[in-house]
Amino acid sequence: MPDFSPTQYAVPLFVLAVLAEMIWSYFRSPAAYEPKDTLVSLSFGLGSTVAGAVFGGFALAAFIAAYEYRLFDFAPNGNEEWWAIWWAWPLCFVLDDLKYYWVHRAGHRIRWFWASHVNHHSSQHYNLSTALRQSWTGAFTLGFVFALPLVLLGFHPAMIAICGGFNLIYQFWIHTEAIDRMPRWFEAVMNTPSHHRVHHATNPRYLDRNYAGVFIVWDKIFGTFEPERAVDEGGERMRYGIVRQLGSFNLLYAVFHEWIGMIGDIWRAPWRHKLSYLLREPGWSHDGSRETSDMIRARWRERVGASPDPVVAAAQDRSAGNPIATQGEAA
Amino acid sequence: MEIPPLILQIFGSLVAILALSGLAMAIGLGRKPVLGDEEAVRYAASEVDDGFEAERVSIARGGAAALARDESGRIVLIKRHGNRFAGRLLTGAARVREEVDALVVDCGDARFGPQQLSLDDPGYWADAINRL
Repeated sequence: MPDFSPTQYAVPLFVLAVLAEMIWSYFRSPAAYEPKDTLVSLSFGLGSTVAGAVFGGFALAAFIAAYEYRLFDFAPNGNEEWWAIWWAWPLCFVLDDLKYYWVHRAGHRIRWFWASHVNHHSSQHYNLSTALRQSWTGAFTLGFVFALPLVLLGFHPAMIAICGGFNLIYQFWIHTEAIDRMPRWFEAVMNTPSHHRVHHATNPRYLDRNYAGVFIVWDKIFGTFEPERAVDEGGERMRYGIVRQLGSFNLLYAVFHEWIGMIGDIWRAPWRHKLSYLLREPGWSHDGSRETSDMIRARWRERVGASPDPVVAAAQDRSAGNPIATQGEAA
Repeated sequence: MEIPPLILQIFGSLVAILALSGLAMAIGLGRKPVLGDEEAVRYAASEVDDGFEAERVSIARGGAAALARDESGRIVLIKRHGNRFAGRLLTGAARVREEVDALVVDCGDARFGPQQLSLDDPGYWADAINRL
């Protein structure tokens, strides 16, 4: 199997697409881009490539070690020609996307993971350059653990990496305001610009929603789907970024601000609460002085007279006490 | 001498990043917005704290920053950030000082930075912030 990284080949396409969207922005929506924001977002992308090259070896070593304990060989001779089993590719892609849903959900609901993933959300803009705003510190979370079940099932780590690469490439084009809605059948199954705008929005209605990578069906299955509502459909003007906007274009601050905040909180917290500042949802505080996304949404619902959040209520019924399933974050 | 592919990729990406950011600047994307009226400030303040209903608003001359106060005395500081606005709900950690033609408000967040606001009613805001 050749050493193949689909994202590397896609980089020129990314550059051309950003260029095309800038031209669209010039004619149709000049506020969609901001040069400093674009510079920060693209620098994030470059930095994440370097960080991946430097720190990615640990996850790879863990996958290769775990692969020795796989349950199934999909190909003869000890899975030697694993890449030749055609049906394993689509199956791996779908299961990897399911894995992505959960790792992404954890990325929003566990502050340790959020400290890394917040990088992707810290722009107040939503354009193709935002897609490249990738974290530098993903290796310092345990996100790779979510892929271990696939390895143990027998999917070769290289196959998972390649499927993950195509997953990331798919997600690039949905970071745009240039496309309104796709055909109804496509919106029903696939993640789209409309669905992903919801995910990046900070309006209370949209917090903690639409974690999907490629297939939006995961959100529909696991109760986290929220459709985009245009202003003329009773919705609000979309606002992007994080609840507490950075207000700074300092790249290093943007990369590390949540790590600094989290470590500071752990340092200052009473002993019995220290672990909660690592594992509970962003916005949680032991003295109730901050707001999680659930609190923000509940306050908004009360204000506008909406009924209680059905997603949160259902989750609380299902698994009281599980912070991943029950609590939201200030994304 | 053979250059490692990763170094080549980094160099190429760096050139592309600078070119795209430079192009965005050259064609005038991201023009600076202004807080033109009270409604714009109210909208920006409600983004800082959902449901914040400004009762009193003062826009700094030039429209790059503003202060908004709600019925309960809470104050939001808003500043222009690129071609968007960002803000902070002020707490007791906020500091304010009056200069010759401006009020300097420090929300206590070093990265957000102190904001200089030329206001028509600086005394009112200095008192209000000092009471937080």
